[in-house]
Amino acid sequence: MKKIALNINGEEYVVDINEDMRLIDLLRDKLHFTGTKEGCGEGECGACTVIMDGETVNSCMVLAFQAEGREIITIEGVGNGEALHPIQKAFLEEGAVQCGFCIPGMVLSAKALLDKKPAPTRNEIREGISGNLCRCTGYNKIVDAIDKASKYLKEEGETK
Amino acid sequence: MEINEVFKPSKVEEAIKLLDHYQETSKIIAGGTDLIISLREGKESASVIIDISSIKELKEITKREDWIEIGAGVTFTKVVNATMLQEKYKGLIDAAASVGSPQIRNAATVGGNICNASPAADFIPPLLALEAVLVIAGSNGIREIKLNDFITDKGKVALSKNELLVKVKFKELKRNQGLGFNKLGLRKALAISRICTSVYLEISEDSKCRDMRIANGSLGRHGLREKVVENYFKGKPLTSETIEIGSQLLEEEVNNRLQGRSSAEFKREAVKGVFTVALNKAIENSRL
Ligand SMILES: Cc1cc2nc3c(=O)[nH]c(=O)nc-3n(C[C@H](O)[C@H](O)[C@H](O)COP(=O)(O)OP(=O)(O)OC[C@H]3O[C@@H](n4cnc5c(N)ncnc54)[C@H](O)[C@@H]3O)c2cc1C
Ligand code: FES
Ligand code: FES
Repeated sequence: MKKIALNINGEEYVVDINEDMRLIDLLRDKLHFTGTKEGCGEGECGACTVIMDGETVNSCMVLAFQAEGREIITIEGVGNGEALHPIQKAFLEEGAVQCGFCIPGMVLSAKALLDKKPAPTRNEIREGISGNLCRCTGYNKIVDAIDKASKYLKEEGETK
Repeated sequence: MEINEVFKPSKVEEAIKLLDHYQETSKIIAGGTDLIISLREGKESASVIIDISSIKELKEITKREDWIEIGAGVTFTKVVNATMLQEKYKGLIDAAASVGSPQIRNAATVGGNICNASPAADFIPPLLALEAVLVIAGSNGIREIKLNDFITDKGKVALSKNELLVKVKFKELKRNQGLGFNKLGLRKALAISRICTSVYLEISEDSKCRDMRIANGSLGRHGLREKVVENYFKGKPLTSETIEIGSQLLEEEVNNRLQGRSSAEFKREAVKGVFTVALNKAIENSRL
């Protein structure tokens, strides 16, 4: 057992972890951020994507102790719990969600992309979500949604 | 995974002390994109894990005299965005950008790619073509070794239990020198390289090939140089004719090496095309 401190979705946590726990185990089993999904468990599918210090990582490939002192954003930290984040809104409007399993990871990859590159081309969007597999949608509607979200975020920026 | 103790040192010396103390029972983790899989599959075991991703000095890309130095802890995302590497080192950037997916590139490090020494490691061929040298720290101090001598077999490297790869360095490219990289993968995003080729080229004043170094990935037990083909090009002009003969030679080399493998047929055919593109990129790059 080991105690670590980390920030998740803006809140400080001090938690006991097992040495062999992965970040995804800490998030899901210990802290119940169950929006983070485990698909392949080997870095291929991106269902377990979280944002760590501003960059997306697969939480199935990070050991929990490595997250000591880091800032993590999970899908629960996107939007404010009441209003949807513009990316989430665009996903719903464009019908980009079918079974939903890949969506938390998709939304976080989209967020990381748009935070760095507010107006990506469709190719850049495809590249940005290339580490997130979706077995349902065929990706086109997801790309449409991220494209739309980038416009929403631009408008939001202009009205602020 | 039976891990009993974990450490997150912030200095190279601390990491080495830990390695020296725990020896075989310990393993270094950097990005974890190779290690976590092999620990979970039981291919490797370690009761002590030492995370080097908080060591700042391993994360720098710097220029010292006429050498470019890349820290072992530099991620591929950082390579792709490095100001110092833009344009002239496009060959390295292309290799880094071709690794995995954004999530993988955000975690995976240059040092992990080298120390894991997979036949399909994409960053090894361009570094071999640049005749890169590794700087390794241990309890007895610092030593240097050529990358080519460091990789001894598939997944095997000349690194003792109490040593840490600190950085990889190579001579700065001059105006008449260029580097090219090309990769043929299965699926764009997560393709573990099926064939990748990197070419270093030096052009003489009369537009001939003064020096060439070719390194391939996934065409042998580890990334390796193609000396027969390199020697053919030396002193020759780079025309469509010599390039055709050179790539034919490469095909023969690959064919001999891969004989009996099911992928041989496909690879020996494909390698010509992959090589020609990498060479043309190197030619273009040598004009920058
Ligand atoms: C989905 C997926 C896709 C991938 N795609 C590609 C690809 O396209 N191309 C490619 O080349 N690779 C690919 N890989 C493999 C992997 O991402 C790379 O090899 C990566 O560079 C490994 O770096 P790391 O920091 O994650 O290494 P780790 O897993 O942390 O370490 C790997 C090994 O190196 C040792 N090590 C690490 N750093 C040091 C050091 N400084 N000193 C001494 N020993 C050290 C570790 O102990 C371990 O044995 C992929 C992996 C996954 C999971
Ligand atoms: S569960 Fe982590 S990448 Fe698939
Ligand atoms: S919506 Fe089902 S996997 Fe993407």
